[in-house]
Amino acid sequence: MRYWSVLFALAAIFSVGAFLYAPFSPDWWLPNPASDYRHVVSTFGREIDSLYLIILIITGVVFIGTQVVLVWESFRFADQKDEAGKPVRPAQYFHGSQRLEVIWTIIPAAILVFIALYQMGTWASIKFRSSAPKVPPLAEITGRQFQWVMRYPGPDGKLNTQDDLFTVNDLHFVKNRTALIYLKSSDVIHSFFLPQMRIKQDAVPGLTIPVWFDADTAGKYDLACAELCGWGHYKMRANVTVHETDEEFRKWLNEKLAEQNQSQLTMATVSQER
Amino acid sequence: MIVRCRLRLLIGLCCLVPTLSGCSDRFLAGPMQYVENDALTKEVKGKNSLAGKPRLQDKVRNALAKLYGEKPDRMIVSEGMGVLLTGGGARLASYQKVGESKLRNLGPDRKPIAGGYGLYRRNCLHCHGVSGAGDGPTAAYLYPIPRDYRKGLFKFTSTPFGARPHRDDLKRTITNGLHGTSMPAFEALMSSDEIEQVIDYVIFLSVRGETELELIELGALSDETDMSALSMDDARQAAESVFNKWKTAQTAIINPPVPAPPSTPKSIHHGRDLFLGRTKEKLDCVGCHGALAQGDGPTFVSQDVFNKVVFGGNPSEKEERLKQFDEKTREVWTQKLDDWGNPVRPANLNRGVYKGGRRPIDLYWRISKGINGANMPPGPNDAAVIWDVVNFVLALPYQPELLTNAPAPPAAQAPAVANR
Ligand code: HEC
Ligand code: HEC
Ligand SMILES: [Cu+2]
Repeated sequence: MRYWSVLFALAAIFSVGAFLYAPFSPDWWLPNPASDYRHVVSTFGREIDSLYLIILIITGVVFIGTQVVLVWESFRFADQKDEAGKPVRPAQYFHGSQRLEVIWTIIPAAILVFIALYQMGTWASIKFRSSAPKVPPLAEITGRQFQWVMRYPGPDGKLNTQDDLFTVNDLHFVKNRTALIYLKSSDVIHSFFLPQMRIKQDAVPGLTIPVWFDADTAGKYDLACAELCGWGHYKMRANVTVHETDEEFRKWLNEKLAEQNQSQLTMATVSQER
Repeated sequence: MIVRCRLRLLIGLCCLVPTLSGCSDRFLAGPMQYVENDALTKEVKGKNSLAGKPRLQDKVRNALAKLYGEKPDRMIVSEGMGVLLTGGGARLASYQKVGESKLRNLGPDRKPIAGGYGLYRRNCLHCHGVSGAGDGPTAAYLYPIPRDYRKGLFKFTSTPFGARPHRDDLKRTITNGLHGTSMPAFEALMSSDEIEQVIDYVIFLSVRGETELELIELGALSDETDMSALSMDDARQAAESVFNKWKTAQTAIINPPVPAPPSTPKSIHHGRDLFLGRTKEKLDCVGCHGALAQGDGPTFVSQDVFNKVVFGGNPSEKEERLKQFDEKTREVWTQKLDDWGNPVRPANLNRGVYKGGRRPIDLYWRISKGINGANMPPGPNDAAVIWDVVNFVLALPYQPELLTNAPAPPAAQAPAVANR
């Protein structure tokens, strides 16, 4: 029977091994830009990752400790029989130890309270409306089955006017500038999920929810829906582009606006016809 | 002890077997087969059919198999169609057989491509169906229902009313989706090269479906006992005429002769008067779109009736729900079905959602040449007039008072529409 403990040990070693291996593999580690998979691009991302790591370390230490005891006990004390084939030490029933119970209640409770207090600042800075940045909104983003409809203020800088730019599944913002969006849904609950920026916010029908985030590295990222919203949920993927400079973003916006205002085919398109 | 082990084995197997067999979708898909047009074997109300003509039916089947291949995964691209497709049809599938040799089709990056058929199967089939009839498994739950390609008719085109679409029109539809419908935007889901491949397949299905329709029409005119009816030559000719419709459309894009004028109040107000039919052009937008452009004009059944029939329950029981209304309503209903026989609703222009795109040029196309198959007729010929209407349409969602506070029409008809 004692060799069961080997099985337990293997399971534990595999789990711990997976966690030790993860930081060395871009596929296993948290979602980050491909160029530097350990670099977290957003301010909130760094805070959230540090919380994540603290929790991982606490649970990791506890896990290793309990597994060592479990494996050791089941190895050391199994199969101990006397000459007559009877267990050397028969199992005993005892009524519990109040002291032990108090200890194993207080320690986890203290840890939980610590985590709860420790994360409050991060939660507040990401979710409290009062901490929303005082910047003009980048866009209004509406989830609908099954796409993200984005609406950027046009040249007048105001949302919901006739010069707004409309795109589908295409989010653009500028590096090192906090982007503020208004999140809506036109049908069911969706969830606005920027994995590389560690942002996740439900889009709730009837509500307009401000969401803000930033990125310190220009490049391409993902936006996905993280709430099962119907059969086409998996189609709700969008491209995210972080621009290097304001000019680059303006240039993109103006190109898109010119496209949206197109009223004639360019000569190139006409002559290109077969 | 032994009993327990067996039990565990059993439980283990119960979990393992479905998981492992679930990894293959062989048994789910079954052999892929084109769905035949209803009119091939059944009586269809108001249309020609080959019901009761088994010999002609077989001839149609054989002709289609010879022209386009027997099964979806074995396509044949005839020479005449090649020019409509990129690479002469080489991008329809991942493998290609030329004479005796079989070759793998590669993309620009030298990697094997999925091919239009593969991409269609993965992304579009569940809505648009195996033969492009708009009858995929999810179709019944959607409104509007997915396009049936087999008529060759597409709504959001840049070519003249009734003509086949230009490739770029299909590309726009697939890239941006059709806003306000369940047709998704594929820009973020497929590369532009993949979109080209899938366009090829849409064209292939459309051409195949239209040939099938033409052959049924042809067969309906012939006698079942006539041995020479629907020969292979007839079939080739029918296919050729379908190819030609597509070919002419590729050079028939309508380009507005003048660019859109600035959206001044003058232009917008003139557009409003045009929309309300108060100018000498006597446009009749209101009849369909309604005096407030809410999509509730008197020539269609009321929104209420529409909702009851279309959204009032099981999608396959629309006919039964329609029966509760009086004869006049039922007649209007049948008159206003679209060319595919499905209910359609004039757009509510206050929402600022345009299926075919919001660029001025898109709206120019919609208004000047109408919307194929959707009961929206071509509009006026004068570009300046159309641009004013376009300016009005684009402004309306932001200035609803354009219609709610429209000045009373000229004296003659004034009393009926007075605002206060
Ligand atoms: C969720 C269902 C759905 C999926 C998936 C889907 N479509 Fe559609 N599609 C529609 C609907 C619905 C319409 C018709 C909308 C209307 O009539 O207003 C449509 C219309 C079209 C049209 C006709 C446009 C016109 O101008 O008339 C084309 C072409 C088309 N789809 C191509 C595709 C292709 C290619 C794919 C796969 C890459 C695809 N669709 C996937 C639902 C779907
Ligand atoms: C006979 C009825 C009818 C008339 C007349 C008519 N329309 Fe329409 N219109 C429709 C229908 C039906 C649709 C919706 C088509 C669809 O959704 O597939 C529509 C859609 C539209 C759209 C939306 C296009 C899009 O991309 O979603 C616009 C804009 C429009 N009509 C403008 C006009 C204007 C302007 C006039 C007058 C010149 C007009 N219509 C006359 C029936 C009509
Ligand atoms: Cu969603």
